[in-house]
Amino acid sequence: MKNFLTLSITSFVFFTVLWVLWHFLDSHVIFLEGKGTLFYLPHAARVLCIIYFGYRAIPAIYLGELVGPIVLNPDLYSFSTLLPSFISVMSVPFALILLNTLGLTLGETRSSPLNRRNYKHIFLITFISAGFNALVVNLYMSRNNLSFPNAITDIELVLQFFIGDLLGTIIVFTFLALLLIPVLRQARN
Amino acid sequence: MKEFYKNISDALAMLDGLEKDLNIRHLTPNELKVFYTVIVRSECNNYGSNISDIVVNSGMSRSTVYKTLRKLSQEGIIQLHQSEEDGRESLVILNN
Repeated sequence: MKNFLTLSITSFVFFTVLWVLWHFLDSHVIFLEGKGTLFYLPHAARVLCIIYFGYRAIPAIYLGELVGPIVLNPDLYSFSTLLPSFISVMSVPFALILLNTLGLTLGETRSSPLNRRNYKHIFLITFISAGFNALVVNLYMSRNNLSFPNAITDIELVLQFFIGDLLGTIIVFTFLALLLIPVLRQARN
Repeated sequence: MKEFYKNISDALAMLDGLEKDLNIRHLTPNELKVFYTVIVRSECNNYGSNISDIVVNSGMSRSTVYKTLRKLSQEGIIQLHQSEEDGRESLVILNN
């Protein structure tokens, strides 16, 4: 339980900031309005926090998933997000367990089958988790006759979720790589 | 706390690799700022953005922007064309 509080606060804040930013873009930026499923930025927080902080980050990420639709904008969804949010959070552990079963264990050295310091390996985890999230969340929605606002739960929405998680993660990673890294490098010099 | 920083350091190493492969590591923070401004302005105008707009939007001095644009042009990242509407103005176009 070492550092549990620190990593939980970091994960929660990171997820919530991305969720607020995503929600703002989805509802207030004219040319992006209603297209939020195509660039779901918070998926990057799920991936980064669970990969780098481990499974201990799951409660904080789950709390972040719930705070957005329940506290910040209670009118956003007309159904309970308790289970869909849990499925979304578990998509990253699912990807890690699947890859581990295939012999691709996550490590931090060049000799590790999956190196968490290599962005291409992180993208592979993102790809699998995005697929799992898109399929299982929409399966749950269709089995319970539920739907997201302005969307019909069908194969097209599965594809939109998949692309949205991938694109959202790529946008956040690229943004962090292009802005954060030069700033940190300059601060170090 | 050491483990927490180690995790953050691994995440930064991953982002560092991504930045390296995006191939814009050699740009200074000022050059990056001008580059981002050019990208944002290009989104608004397909025919290129004029330098005055970039000066206003980047918040940097005209001479710094000119110097930076010359460097970006020499590196083949952008092209500078004379505006047909105003001969004194140059248009900045992003290279594909």
